[in-house]
Amino acid sequence: MRRLLLCGTAALAIFGMSTMAIAADKIPVGHLACYTGPTSDVGIPYGNGVADAMNFINANGGVNGKQLEYETVDYSYKAPQAIATYKKWMSGLEPVAIQGWGTADTEALVKFIAKDEVPYFSASYSGHLTDPTGKSPKTKAPAPYNFFYGASYSDTCRGLVQWAADDWKAKGGKGAPKFIHMGANHPYPNAPKEACAEYAKELGFQVLQPIVYDLKPGDAKAQCLTLKDSGADYAYMGNTAGSNISLLNSCQTVGANPQFMANVWGWDENSIMAARESGDGVAVPLGSPSWKADAPGMKTIRAISKMSDPSGGKYRNLHYMRGACAVFFMKDAMEIADKKGAITGSNIKAAMETMTNHVPAGLEGVCKPSTWTGEDHRGTTEVSVYTTSFNGGDFKFNEQATVTVPRRPDWLGW
Amino acid sequence: MASAHSRMRCGEFRTTYQADMTIFPTPLARRTAVGSVLLLLAAPAVLDSYLLNLLIQIGYYGIAALGLNIVVGFTGQISLGHAAFFGFGAFASAWLNGTTGIPVFFTIPLAGAMTMAVGLIVGIPAGRIKGLYLAIATLASQYILEDFFARAEWFTGGSAGAMANPFTLFGYEFFTDQTYFYVVLFYVVVMYLGGANLMRTRDGRAFVAVRDHYLSAEIMGINLTKYRILSFGISSFYAGVGGALFGHYLGFVSAEGFTLLLSIQFIGMVIIGGLGSVMGAMMGTVFMVLLPEVMEFGVHLVGSNNTALTQALAYIKEMAIGLAIILFLIFEPDGLAHRWRMIKNYWKLYPFSY
Repeated sequence: MRRLLLCGTAALAIFGMSTMAIAADKIPVGHLACYTGPTSDVGIPYGNGVADAMNFINANGGVNGKQLEYETVDYSYKAPQAIATYKKWMSGLEPVAIQGWGTADTEALVKFIAKDEVPYFSASYSGHLTDPTGKSPKTKAPAPYNFFYGASYSDTCRGLVQWAADDWKAKGGKGAPKFIHMGANHPYPNAPKEACAEYAKELGFQVLQPIVYDLKPGDAKAQCLTLKDSGADYAYMGNTAGSNISLLNSCQTVGANPQFMANVWGWDENSIMAARESGDGVAVPLGSPSWKADAPGMKTIRAISKMSDPSGGKYRNLHYMRGACAVFFMKDAMEIADKKGAITGSNIKAAMETMTNHVPAGLEGVCKPSTWTGEDHRGTTEVSVYTTSFNGGDFKFNEQATVTVPRRPDWLGW
Repeated sequence: MASAHSRMRCGEFRTTYQADMTIFPTPLARRTAVGSVLLLLAAPAVLDSYLLNLLIQIGYYGIAALGLNIVVGFTGQISLGHAAFFGFGAFASAWLNGTTGIPVFFTIPLAGAMTMAVGLIVGIPAGRIKGLYLAIATLASQYILEDFFARAEWFTGGSAGAMANPFTLFGYEFFTDQTYFYVVLFYVVVMYLGGANLMRTRDGRAFVAVRDHYLSAEIMGINLTKYRILSFGISSFYAGVGGALFGHYLGFVSAEGFTLLLSIQFIGMVIIGGLGSVMGAMMGTVFMVLLPEVMEFGVHLVGSNNTALTQALAYIKEMAIGLAIILFLIFEPDGLAHRWRMIKNYWKLYPFSY
């Protein structure tokens, strides 16, 4: 019996040591994905992009030879679920960085990750996440460990409004154009609501009472009738693609047709195909080229895509590329952190804040040059406005304008 | 072994009213209860955070489930709005603490009282309607409260949710799982003793009388309206305290967490555990909390590299809960508490079970 015990302890000790040895050159990363729930329409391609990119990094030498050990959890877009997952991770996986998703959960986690010093790369581009110090007067809470790839929702909406003002003039519109914000009563569509409305007023728009429509796709004729009665000229859609498809179809039915402008998650190839002619002319900000574009970095993206689709035949939509970009910015920061000493949360944050007009190697033309500083986490403020046309199934993205929204100090964190 | 047997009785012999009214049916049951609480006191030293997290979940859901069992199992009413009360407690405690600065130590029972007030109002229809109609009325209260949570920015922070400060006592923060566990354990013991005692009182017996035959109860002089509404009030108090514990544990309260689905899960807990049983509420909660974890463990065991399976995990968890409720309704409608009693009886009478 005693011998058995001894053997057991020895085996356990060896096992324990071997797992420790493996753990030493692995980088634990949390991946909070939305594969089910109201935003899964865009959560799946983005999550696939994140996972494929991490697998690609692991298959190609890792981060300075260290492998990313990531755990994917589908939290179904429920903020409390996300917090519970985070707490679970902090007592087990202990990630040094997290690839996250929605606005509600990311904003709820801001204080937690700041306390635990875990850099958080969200797919939420909420303007509330851009002020690391909390000095800006409109900031509710400082978000020192939050990063995201792309222009914030507020800046994107400002860019769209800027474009709309020019468009109104170009079309010879008379009087003040009417702007309306549409979206669910949820932190994500609400994030740019006030910031964008204020800028629209500044540009001479008449800002109408916002309209609420559900994040879950469903009939929205009542909202479209309100929209029609309001006489809006430019309507911003704050929800994700699936919900916007049903909105546009409903509005087509009741004959409400202002110039629709979508959030960066609000319009993609799937929605163009699903909404067909109802969606023609929707203005959309692109955070990356589309799958068939021939930007130099697309070669890397296609290699990344082969991680889960060896045939290489699968079409990846816009969100996939942005997911990959988010991972590669994180990877580059980890490499800098590693050279400086160790891959820890605070080192990754410091490394992120040294990036100036940075584009991850191999992704030129895919990821926009981004700059983060210790005072300003607005990676980019460039908004590329396109309109889309269904074109009988051979859909097209038509470039309209590239608006660089000014980095006003009082817009930080808002 | 022999000593244990001598303590176990082969039947329930109660010769005095006092003996008939004890909280614990047998001395062994009492010792087991005290012993398990003592054992649980040592849990944070032994268990890792993951297991403690599950125990904490069982704790706050268990308190709320007992509340639902008081209204459904003991008083024979139905409530489809329990999650909304649970949420109201969470928001109330976070709000009280956040705006007035009253320590969390006091806001948890205060949140319970506030929720009780809401429950008494929502319970008013119960004084007049029953059955399916009451179910729909409580369903309405679920939606009214949910909408209130999403819009009342002053109270809940609106759709963005509210931050809840950690539980503190004399400047010491109960932030980690290891420490918060004791807070939850304290409340579980207090609330369950309270629940068990409630059923020994005049009011508790009135609840049971209303459930068993409301006409006879009324003829015996029980005020039906009063007790039906009171039952909703007490049930909401439990939900409020459970919700407040949940809110301060998570540190963040959001309207999304308190949907109809959670109400159904509470119903599932009391059905699986056993309607009209204090211990059943706890058993059902343990079952409901552990079931998804067991599913997850199973999925990882079968194939952690199988992406299709891990992506389907969210569905598998939800389906398992549905399946469990159906199977219990068919095969064990009296719940786990009943099954436990049968097992005990089997061993008590072994080997002469006839």
